Amino acid sequence: MRTVEMLHRSGVGVSPARTIREAAAIMEQAGVGCLAVVDGDRLVGIVTDRDIVRRGVARGVPADARVDSVMTTPVITIGADDPLESAYGLFATHGLRRLAVMRGDSFVGMLTIDDLFVSVVEQLSSLARPITAEILFSHRDPPVPATA
Amino acid sequence: MRADVGDRIVIHGHRIGEPNRDCEVLEVRGTDGAPPYLVRWGDSGHEALFFPGSDAYVQHFEHTN
Repeated sequence: MRTVEMLHRSGVGVSPARTIREAAAIMEQAGVGCLAVVDGDRLVGIVTDRDIVRRGVARGVPADARVDSVMTTPVITIGADDPLESAYGLFATHGLRRLAVMRGDSFVGMLTIDDLFVSVVEQLSSLARPITAEILFSHRDPPVPATA
Repeated sequence: MRADVGDRIVIHGHRIGEPNRDCEVLEVRGTDGAPPYLVRWGDSGHEALFFPGSDAYVQHFEHTN
């Protein structure tokens, strides 16, 4: 499976010159916890609700400061057409919760570790279904054909 | 996804009980209606870039000159 096929949630981005207050309001309005920070066509960072709390509020950074003052950069990215196994590898080695998915130099969306958890649970569930059915509705083995 | 200026994009809620969200397309940054889109969110008037995923669909409106 390609990484882009696991991209279920829409991504939202802001320019680096927007304020922290605006970024927080957009997160609230869009129902996301992370924004891509995009300068023109170029992804320059990501900012999460956690970044705003830890790097902004906790350090007394004013809410009208630029959002790039609290963003995370550089961003760990993955290609949209890269195999999903690569995403598992990046999450595991970098201890991330989100990966920016790129097509060439263009940002296309944010893959979260939650997306992978949901997928794994769904796959386990589909594997367990026939086994559960066998336990609940067990049937006898067919009789061995008689030999002459 | 293809959208025009003035279209509405609806994003499905991700959790049980979470309402759908919507935004208005102000500007199409891709070619031939492709994303990303500069959008305005609901009542807040905040503008942001939108990169649609499979949770979003476009409501096209008839555009008259």
